[in-house]
Amino acid sequence: MKYINCIINGKDIELKYKDGMCLREALFLAGYNSVRDSDSGEGFAGSDTVIIDDIPAFASLMSPLQVEGKTIRTAESLGNTRNVNFVQQAMIDAGIVQSAYNAPAAALLLTWLLEHVENPTKEQIKDVLSSLFIRDAGYENYYLAVKLATEIRDFGEYRTKIATEYREQLKYVGKNISKIDGASLVSAEKCFTEDKASKDAYALVVLRSPHAHAYITSIDTSKAEALNGVVKVYTHLNTPQTHYTHAGQGAPEPSPHDKRLFNEKVRMVGDRVAAVVAVDKETALKARDLIEVEYEVLKPVLTVEDAQAEDAPRVHNSKISFGVGAPDNLDELNKDCDPRDGIVHYPFPLHANVKKNLASEAKGAIGDVDKAFAESDAVVERTYRTNQIQCTPLEHSVCFAKVELGRLVLHSSTQVPYHVRRVVARLCDLPHSKVRVVKERVGGAYGSKQDVTVEDLVGYAAWDTGLEIFYQNNREEQFLTTATRHPMKITVKMGGNKDGQITAIEMLVEANTGCYGQHCLTVPMNACSKVLPLFKVDNMRFDVLTYYTNIAMVGAYQGYGAPKGTYAAMCTVAELADKLGLDYLDVIKKNHVEEGYMLEILRGLGEGREGNVVPVGSCGLEPAITQGAQMIEWGKKEVSEDPNWKIGKGFAIIQQGSGLPGLDHSNAWAKLTTDGSVELFSGGADLGTGLDTVSAKVACENLKVPMDKITITSGDTSSTTFDTGAYASSGTYFSGNASRLAAEDLKKAIIKEAAFQMEEKEEDLYLEYPGKVVSEKTKAELDYATMCHTALSGTGNGQIMGKGSFTTMVNSIPYGAHFAQVAVNTKTGEVKVQKFYALQDAGTPINPELAECQIYGAVLKSIGHSLYEGIEYSEDGIPQNANFTDYCAPMINEMPDDFKVKLIDIDDIEGPYGAKSISEIATNGAAPAIAIAIHDAVGIWCRSWPFTSEKILKELGKIK
Amino acid sequence: MIKYLLKVNDVKEALIKKRENPAFAFYAGGTEINRLNSTLNYEGAISLEGLGLDKIEVTKYGVKIGACVTLQNLIDSNEIPEYLKEAAKFCDSRTIRCNATIGGNLAFGSDDSYLMPTLLAAKARLLTSGLTANDVFTEDNMPIREYHSNHESFSNTLLVAIVLPLEERVVLSKRFAKTSHAHSAVCVSFGAKKTNNKLDEVRIFAAIKGSGVQRFSDVENSIENNAFNSSADVEFAIANEINAVDDLTGSASYKKYITSVAVAQMYDDAKGVK
Repeated sequence: MKYINCIINGKDIELKYKDGMCLREALFLAGYNSVRDSDSGEGFAGSDTVIIDDIPAFASLMSPLQVEGKTIRTAESLGNTRNVNFVQQAMIDAGIVQSAYNAPAAALLLTWLLEHVENPTKEQIKDVLSSLFIRDAGYENYYLAVKLATEIRDFGEYRTKIATEYREQLKYVGKNISKIDGASLVSAEKCFTEDKASKDAYALVVLRSPHAHAYITSIDTSKAEALNGVVKVYTHLNTPQTHYTHAGQGAPEPSPHDKRLFNEKVRMVGDRVAAVVAVDKETALKARDLIEVEYEVLKPVLTVEDAQAEDAPRVHNSKISFGVGAPDNLDELNKDCDPRDGIVHYPFPLHANVKKNLASEAKGAIGDVDKAFAESDAVVERTYRTNQIQCTPLEHSVCFAKVELGRLVLHSSTQVPYHVRRVVARLCDLPHSKVRVVKERVGGAYGSKQDVTVEDLVGYAAWDTGLEIFYQNNREEQFLTTATRHPMKITVKMGGNKDGQITAIEMLVEANTGCYGQHCLTVPMNACSKVLPLFKVDNMRFDVLTYYTNIAMVGAYQGYGAPKGTYAAMCTVAELADKLGLDYLDVIKKNHVEEGYMLEILRGLGEGREGNVVPVGSCGLEPAITQGAQMIEWGKKEVSEDPNWKIGKGFAIIQQGSGLPGLDHSNAWAKLTTDGSVELFSGGADLGTGLDTVSAKVACENLKVPMDKITITSGDTSSTTFDTGAYASSGTYFSGNASRLAAEDLKKAIIKEAAFQMEEKEEDLYLEYPGKVVSEKTKAELDYATMCHTALSGTGNGQIMGKGSFTTMVNSIPYGAHFAQVAVNTKTGEVKVQKFYALQDAGTPINPELAECQIYGAVLKSIGHSLYEGIEYSEDGIPQNANFTDYCAPMINEMPDDFKVKLIDIDDIEGPYGAKSISEIATNGAAPAIAIAIHDAVGIWCRSWPFTSEKILKELGKIK
Repeated sequence: MIKYLLKVNDVKEALIKKRENPAFAFYAGGTEINRLNSTLNYEGAISLEGLGLDKIEVTKYGVKIGACVTLQNLIDSNEIPEYLKEAAKFCDSRTIRCNATIGGNLAFGSDDSYLMPTLLAAKARLLTSGLTANDVFTEDNMPIREYHSNHESFSNTLLVAIVLPLEERVVLSKRFAKTSHAHSAVCVSFGAKKTNNKLDEVRIFAAIKGSGVQRFSDVENSIENNAFNSSADVEFAIANEINAVDDLTGSASYKKYITSVAVAQMYDDAKGVK
């Protein structure tokens, strides 16, 4: 180690570094954990922002040698978790501190801005934030945060409304109350997985395939193993034969078990070939370069059409097996498989055929579709294509694992701690009780961390070696080996009559699941199951076919299959309306579902089982459509002063779910501590979305205690009770309801104990704020602290506890309507989103300010996939743009000029205090709304993502 | 990431160090050299910090911009014409702009350069310093197009300053990229001296991703000679002169089309055609 002298946060520091180390690494090593890495030194995302001699800089682009004698400021200078500064507090209160990996950097930049400009304009704020990639909360409320900060600075109070509040009768639910982990996150408290790793943990690095499709014909690790400091090198030759799925889904998973830790066949660029465990990363990387591998390169399969071809190479020429439901001709099916391909095991049949690269199939119908088409006044049939979109969380997938007191302990950034435990325990052949998974704060996930893509290997290696092991993807690995949206080809046939009635809908979904089958059934089915139930149509049919290919890892991404199905279906409605000469709004109004409508189509839309037919519950579609149409002045033609720019409007109706009724299961327990405060233990996994705050609010509401008297422990498999995890929009509805039930159970226990101690009848007692039991009859009072002390004093009844277990067969469906106004330049093909209004029925928004920001974030993500993003490949299957710049991630300048979120006030009877899910649905509307607006502007239909200028020019006939 | 950074006291010492360490780079902001996937690969560098190359001053020859002036300095300066500020804003990241320098942008000479087409269209000149074989310190003043045309031969030469001419010129620039932070498919600039509604000393340059920075001399001459009847003629002529290839930023046909449309529009704008 060498060192340089500089001043960091006002102190003279000898900063240690090694040759070739960037300033960010040196600062992180020195304990300035706010200076994080999101882009592997691309100079894009801004997590590594510092201020040097009063000028913002990316520490990853600087050598420590550059800062000799200089003054460095990091986010640690602003405050700490107990004393945040006014900007940090305003950020929390504005709702923008969510997954928060960049929140300290944002706080640093905004504080710096306010030091130089007393009252910055929107343009000045935008300019400063132009260097930060914000994926979770969009950027809109950053303007609000700056405004709040200036108000608290100038007036000592906020004078601007933060977000509309709901449910006057409630104290916490529906109110803007600081997110309970907000201060920790914005002040860079060491609460992410990377912060938990021992400084002397062993490093793990992975050798990855340079080929999209190849057999490993030989692999020589001897030179790597001989290198001083190397502990172990893993390959397919010395690791378990266990086949499993990355998908973190409820067991038995509706995904094939089609991979091992290392496979003899590599099926995508970036697939694992070997892994090295060594004393440090430098040694591990050197050893990795010494591994010699020979491949038999095969032709890759890149598209659905490639996979369907008669002579297509088989991505999995594997032996197949079944947990249940094996076909009679299994031996026949297994005849010409190649042992090098391993096994594909189906926990239950997915109607697949690996010989034809078919990973799964599902179909269903109601009514008489063919007859309805034949009798329709008009029928349109259109094919839409979507591409491969990366989740791009700021925090790379990461795991720190160790063996402690005979148990394997994993610290991880995961959406599914319990599924991680199941997968790792199986790979290590351990009882579940011998594996502890601790979900740390999650710096962005969006579906990518629903899959067990790093914990499997790190957990196995830690258990195998008995060492503490740390691993984190770099950005390229994150692009290649974690979840992306399934590219889909969706053909929609739709019939309608002149009165605007849609008579029949048929959807054919052909999806590309990449080389492994995680989510291969459920994501593509979602393209139908979250779309067809939007319509009051008696005749519907769907067929969902999913194919294996050799593209980068595919899986879950916020919205799941719904953004793609919604895009295809809504655009087809618009095309049908166009053909019938009707206004699209009128057609939607005539055909959307409303409360009480029986959803027969759901029977065929279960995830690998028969679905539940239920009526539509609370439904805010009508007010969302009506209010949105008013806001955007639907029907009014806007004209630009520049004749090259044409303006158009579009919208889409949307829905999602609130978890998976009949499949998801959440548990929680709660106890009163010795001073009467509350500890809540939730199995739920807060991804930065505010789930812990939801749990705290519903518990405090029930127990009549102040928010500062409750502490939450969540997502820890050893100290909390089972929860299926944070996916499928289940957090608030399932985990929140479990917390509510635990609190209600604790309330019963409190009443029972109070009745005993007060010598009163239970029915005469009630709870009163702030944490006491009152007798209606005698007016006697007993505070929780006294009661607990007595209960635990040696002669009492013991711990006062409650537990909650939530399951349901009822789905509280969130609905919404998203409206867009775009301007299209007919000369250049450029598209500007001038207005975007997202109106959503989320039931009772428990955290209104967080809800709004999540919608902003989700919409910006979906504007991204509509207009800019996508992974591209060479002919031999090599990804061409596994970095932010070439991938074209949207930043603040891609924001709509006028961006509004409006929550429709609908109470729901099932959700906790009437809440439904919020953010996932918000990714569904932008693509169809923008596509329809583009058509309104210039008369072309955009039938494939992304709607680039070049594609628009082609459609306009300007280029070939 | 560089491993060695040599500090020097003046320009001549920087040149001497460069001669002693030919594998080292002159180093200003470092935003390109240290960036992931950079095409520049240097283990060592010679720091230009503290050499006084970060000044902007108006001289009788023009606006002299030190090579270490950052893109953000350009935007913040009252001395810099609006057209160059606009070009500096093509770099959409404020933090990058605070560290990336005008000299670095020119020396890197990327095919999606933010500034090069604009500076070429502006008829900017370069002040450079070098050493002769006998270690004699030399200074040179050359048109920026000369530097651009013979980029490789200037590897041991230090860019000291860029000088914008004081004469009034119309300079218009436009950048086409999928997003604000993406590499541009095309960054195009049109410059001309406008006298009595006539365009003279026309310069048209485009940085075309994958094909480099290109000049459209024939079109320039035709405009100066009033050979075109309309912008449609300009558009047609440009489309026939462009060298473009397919890549992630767009197809060759897109790049040709968008460049020609942009130049035609700039031609109209320069002439004041509504």
